[in-house]
Amino acid sequence: MSSKATSSRSRRSRRAVRAEDSYSGVADLYKEKWTWDKVAWGTHCVDCYPGNCPFFVYVKDGIVWREEQAGTFTQIEEGIPDNNPMGCQKGAAWSQQLYSPDRLMHPLKRAGERGSGKWKQISWDEALTEVADALIDTIREDGPESIIREGTPEIAAVTEAQRFLDMIGAVTTDLNGSINDFASGLYETYGKFNGVSEIGDWFNSELVLIWHMNPAYTRIPHFHFVAEARYHGAEVVSIAPDYNASAIHADAFMPVRPGTDAALALAACQTIIEEGLLDRGFVVEQTDLPLLVRADTKRFLCASDLDADGLEDQFYWWDSGEGALAEAGRGSLDLGGVDPALEGAFEVELPGGERVEVTPVFELLKARLNEHYTPEQAADICGIDANDIRWLARKVAQRRTNIMMGYNSMKNYHGDLMERSMALLLGLTGNWGKHGTGTRCWSTGLLDGIAIAMAKEQPGLEGAQQVMVSALGTIEETLAEDPSLTPELAMIEFQKQVAQGLGGFSGGMGENVVPAAFFWYYHCGYREVWNRREWSDPAMSRPFDDYVEEAFDKGWWGELPELAERAEPRVLIECGGNILRRTRGGTTMLLEHLWPKLKMIVTVDLRMSMTAMHADIVLPAANHYEKIGFHIPTPHLMNATFSDKAVEPAGEAKPEWEIFQLLARKVSERAKQRGLTEYRDWRGNKLDLGTLGDRYTLDGALEDEETLFDDILRDTGLSGALPAGTNLETMREHGHVRFVDWGLSPMALAQASDVKADEVHVPFRRHTEQKDPYPTLTRRAQFYLEHPWFFEADEALPRHKEPPKMGGNYPLHVTSGHIRHSIHAMNMTNPVLLQTHRGHPFCFLNPQDAATRGIDDDEEVKVFNDFGSYQVPVKIASSVRPGQIILYNGWEPFMHKGWKGGSDVEPGMVKWLHFVSYGHLSFWPAQWQPVPFDRGVYVEAEKVVEPVEA
Amino acid sequence: MNAPEKAKLEHQLAMVFDLNKCIGCQTCSVACKVLWTRDEGMEHQWWATVNTQPGKGTPKNWEEMGGGERGGAPVAGHLPTKEEFGGGWEYDFDRLFYGGKGSAETLRPTKGAPEWGPNWDEDQGAGEYPNSYYFYLPRICNHCTNPVCMEACPRGVMHKRPEDGIVLRDEDRCRGYRFCMEACPYKKIYYNHVRNIGQQCIFCLPRIEQGVAPACARQCPSRLVFVGFLDDKSGPIHKLVNEWKVALPLHPEYGTSPNVFYVPPLSPHRLKPDGSMDTSAPRIPIEYLETLFGPRVGATLDKLKAELDGVRNGGSSEMLDTLIAYQWQSLFGPFTEDPAELAKAESANGGE
Repeated sequence: MSSKATSSRSRRSRRAVRAEDSYSGVADLYKEKWTWDKVAWGTHCVDCYPGNCPFFVYVKDGIVWREEQAGTFTQIEEGIPDNNPMGCQKGAAWSQQLYSPDRLMHPLKRAGERGSGKWKQISWDEALTEVADALIDTIREDGPESIIREGTPEIAAVTEAQRFLDMIGAVTTDLNGSINDFASGLYETYGKFNGVSEIGDWFNSELVLIWHMNPAYTRIPHFHFVAEARYHGAEVVSIAPDYNASAIHADAFMPVRPGTDAALALAACQTIIEEGLLDRGFVVEQTDLPLLVRADTKRFLCASDLDADGLEDQFYWWDSGEGALAEAGRGSLDLGGVDPALEGAFEVELPGGERVEVTPVFELLKARLNEHYTPEQAADICGIDANDIRWLARKVAQRRTNIMMGYNSMKNYHGDLMERSMALLLGLTGNWGKHGTGTRCWSTGLLDGIAIAMAKEQPGLEGAQQVMVSALGTIEETLAEDPSLTPELAMIEFQKQVAQGLGGFSGGMGENVVPAAFFWYYHCGYREVWNRREWSDPAMSRPFDDYVEEAFDKGWWGELPELAERAEPRVLIECGGNILRRTRGGTTMLLEHLWPKLKMIVTVDLRMSMTAMHADIVLPAANHYEKIGFHIPTPHLMNATFSDKAVEPAGEAKPEWEIFQLLARKVSERAKQRGLTEYRDWRGNKLDLGTLGDRYTLDGALEDEETLFDDILRDTGLSGALPAGTNLETMREHGHVRFVDWGLSPMALAQASDVKADEVHVPFRRHTEQKDPYPTLTRRAQFYLEHPWFFEADEALPRHKEPPKMGGNYPLHVTSGHIRHSIHAMNMTNPVLLQTHRGHPFCFLNPQDAATRGIDDDEEVKVFNDFGSYQVPVKIASSVRPGQIILYNGWEPFMHKGWKGGSDVEPGMVKWLHFVSYGHLSFWPAQWQPVPFDRGVYVEAEKVVEPVEA
Repeated sequence: MNAPEKAKLEHQLAMVFDLNKCIGCQTCSVACKVLWTRDEGMEHQWWATVNTQPGKGTPKNWEEMGGGERGGAPVAGHLPTKEEFGGGWEYDFDRLFYGGKGSAETLRPTKGAPEWGPNWDEDQGAGEYPNSYYFYLPRICNHCTNPVCMEACPRGVMHKRPEDGIVLRDEDRCRGYRFCMEACPYKKIYYNHVRNIGQQCIFCLPRIEQGVAPACARQCPSRLVFVGFLDDKSGPIHKLVNEWKVALPLHPEYGTSPNVFYVPPLSPHRLKPDGSMDTSAPRIPIEYLETLFGPRVGATLDKLKAELDGVRNGGSSEMLDTLIAYQWQSLFGPFTEDPAELAKAESANGGE
């Protein structure tokens, strides 16, 4: 670019006329922008998990002008950086969504076809009357199970909506089935998927493997701990197909071929065993690898094999010291002086005199690894150099290793195999239950007051005490019946009973919860899709339906299939979710199969979402900063994080707590007028609409949100998770309070570590230090799953399998994940955040793939496969692997031409093995169940020549 | 250069951005946007930006636009256009949601397809897979020691505050001639087309005057922005810039003596053609980094690597401990006031 010299002598001389005073005038202009009437605590009680970022909200003239991270955390542990100033660009721009043009301000009624964009503004009373009548009609004509709510973790909506829906007997789809964040492989291994360390513990790692995660996008408030761990001496390795925003901060980037992570992990395991790097003490104590397996049946040798009265879940080791069988303890992991063999073959005599050979699982594992997963063999599969795999394995064996995993592995068809292989790598090297180690997923609980407040029958601490006594009583009974249980195991048993409709409190996840997959199978057209053999694992010897039938007929899922089938959908209440954006299969499946069955679709939302646009009635909810709330409590942060009401709700919006109160009262009023108050649900329980309005608020005692949230806090103090006496005033003063104990919920107890005030949390220490058993069939981290279906699949042990060609035989492998600038669709239409990228959706392609298809940067392509198609502009980047297409999720379908989005190329396949019921593999809310996959869908992309006609 | 003015400078505020902590999240840019540049005429203004390097950045191709100082005088470079800044897109939500056209409408900017914006080439980078490379570069006004914007202004509306070196503009006297925009080699001055004036980062002056760190620094979740006076020998800025020399100015050859410094980016090992790791070659070509940070960048990275090797072998490093910033507040020198506490006190006073 040419430059021209300025002759500026005359210009410079004029500077002498500058008046100093005028600057103060300008400074005043900016100072005016920096004056406030009020500040209030705020956070974003949306599913930007783990979130919990404390902000201050700055108010002027009754309007929220901006927000800023509070930065009020004190250092938890000496030598570990503090958590400040947790937040991200989404939080820092949330205020801009309060008054943006997509904010819902008034109740709306559809005035044209669904999705036509024709609306009529109606009064709250009119809207509530319409909804109440539709609910009453449905209860009368189809039963309350035909009223459906999509389970979501949107904390500001869950409690309020769920309470109402539980009270009328409606059905809720399991939230983990809806959001697909169930780490089935971790669950298969540990009997729980939710072990998570507190963010500060990342700093304790000596080796950070960023694997199935892109924390630079998804953990913006916490990523600094990775960078700081590196400055503290840790090495950081990124294992990913694309050179993503997290990889740039790694010491090594291992460009794994998508879908082959299990092969890489297993080859590292092979190296560890081969080179004698095994942490033997950890393996024999913490895992099932020394348990004996019968050579003839391939099943664990169990007490009932040896004695007709013996337990089916009492398993054995071979004690090398005594040269004899020894019972593997069920109540403790303590070896009790036994020296369990890991290798060898032994003979056992059965009662009939028959002698069978038994070998430790480890022996089977070693044989499999040596046969199929040497680094050289794995290199051919995963594309990582064999010596680099060995380099990785040696580091894992020598260092405190933390696998930073998010929610990506579990969205692969064989994600459970990947997770089991990664867990095995950590297990062989003693890398969990210690600082700086482990894997992560999600967990909640802690703020027990929510569940207690929803379960109690009278307000105040007395009501809470009754709930506690009832829950603790049941748990004590369970513990008395089986002394080998820990409180964690007893609480899981209790939750399983609740899930089967046997009473207790639901933890706020719903009384009539069905696995979402069952609902989709029966009512949303997925049965046909899931039966596509060519999109499934070729190891299946029978049609998909045969397996489902077997699972359901054998009663593996209790009454849940029946409930799901009965939930013939008539009314959909969407509150805190966006089913048309999120669901795999997208609008293709739901608008075609579910929508026509629905007589009434109600959406309660802050903003006009894709689902709201296709609703019959839209109810405007108060935004965060306009109502009281808490972020989803989580062990990642260990804080109850408060959001206050800084301003009045915009327009006619109302907090969900008020909306569902009004609806409950309206239902009572209309039911009485129409002479239908009493009815029975599918279990035969008598329900009463006449008193619903009063019962919803415990006769008005919880009407006011101040009282409700004060109660929730006090009840949490009672359960022990917050300091006793914590109340709303405490929160207004401090904004966030660190939890002091786990309380009652099973997800919190699943952390299995004691909470310490001055030490960052790391899960599973009760297993590694106190020798508490794991909640699995074998009471150990379990790598061997001896169910007949797992044998058929050859997945009894971890292995690698090529991903099936979901969507059809196309050349581009879809990877996905959360994009940087939005949590799901929540921030997609934020007017400020829209300016931080290209202002429209995009997908990523490698330059080579773009060139062979004649696609230029920012050109619109049609992405398609045998399932569906959609249009999206391309972003070309050499950081993307050839053959990979990155379809980041969260874009609203209405941001794409023709309102088809990324979900419309995802068939949402499920894995048949996840219909199994075996030992710990059985349903309770948010746990074991089939969930659909979207990574590893195959597509083609072609340039759009003719734009879609308007 | 105006020697007498420079002599008046008592202290100089500066920042250090540690690029090994920057994740390109845009929280700094959004924090600034929400606080300062939401008025009419400021739609395309982002006083703090973060771009992917290598890349064309914002305004598009700014590094090729010229400007700066040569032979003691400002050089007029290219005047960046509105299109080169891009962004400021508007959307018609009403038509989409309530227009009755259903799926015939799509949420796209109303004034045609966007062609550039403040973060258009995000995550595109350079290199060939698997040896792709990129990093993030946050930028604000450098509040230069030789502010050519000030030199170039015929009306003398710019002023470098002697007490802290903040370059400030008298917006009331500015007539929108935009010589400053031509002269600024970093292209960090924006034209307000409604008010017909130039505008730029004010180093969060109202915050600084209250002892509060600037929004881009205090709101950075990755804790990578150090703030302080360059001559404060006890502060981290002095140590990082002058003592340890691990923080470098951007484009020192522009000649304006910028006061924002960068800890240059490390990067993962390169892969050899056979796919195995080559620990000897840096992934980001050093020649490229030299074009940004000057000839010292290689030595700086070597120093950083040596310190990393030290702690990995059980040693300790004051430099790395400083970059870790165990206490968040240690990033901000004397600017550690809590803005919420000040606002609460202010509103309490106002209410009386």
